[in-house]
Amino acid sequence: MTQNHDHLVRMFVFGETAKKGRVPAASEIADGLHLSIDDTHAALNRLAAGRVLVLAPGTTNIWMANPFSGVPTPFRVLAKGGTYFGNCIWDALGILAILDADGTVETTCGDCGDPIALEVRSGTLARSAGVVHFAVPAARWWDNIGYT
Amino acid sequence: MLLFRSEEHIDRWCKHRVLPRGATVTLEQCWQLAREWYADKLSPTWRRKTLDEAQAVFTQIGLNGPFWGFR
Repeated sequence: MTQNHDHLVRMFVFGETAKKGRVPAASEIADGLHLSIDDTHAALNRLAAGRVLVLAPGTTNIWMANPFSGVPTPFRVLAKGGTYFGNCIWDALGILAILDADGTVETTCGDCGDPIALEVRSGTLARSAGVVHFAVPAARWWDNIGYT
Repeated sequence: MLLFRSEEHIDRWCKHRVLPRGATVTLEQCWQLAREWYADKLSPTWRRKTLDEAQAVFTQIGLNGPFWGFR
């Protein structure tokens, strides 16, 4: 039963976020799936333990449903007539990949803050500028995923 | 993972924060990574990649060496 809840909650969270550009609250998930709030919280906690999504510390608020961010970030994605936020540059491009959509990533240089815009058209990077820097080695990404 | 205008801007950012330089990837590699990682995440049959599968994606994209090792 818990596996079924986890599957339903995962599909609801990612489906709604892809449609609306914002992550649903636990109460919206519970209402949308006709689950109790306790079952919803339990499923969210299991999904977070399985690194399917990330909860804000000490809460069941979704912080990251990667590639989507639950909060505004400097990685803004315009696609399908909506606005989304990525957790990092990889995730910003990941939003265009998960939506299978043309779109634009608006971000800034991590150093000087100058705006940089990237564009994806028909599955290819049609406009790109800059270099991506990974500060943390892969084996340590989940030590502090917010920093990574 | 941040985007920088150039390698010089990465150097300046690391120096300012007294951080060791990590690894750089091109935007084309990052786009490939994004597609490999996320293109199927809305699918009902999606599951997390195993470490071996994730490592294979890195290798396929040309991300090799200790920095990209999961173990």
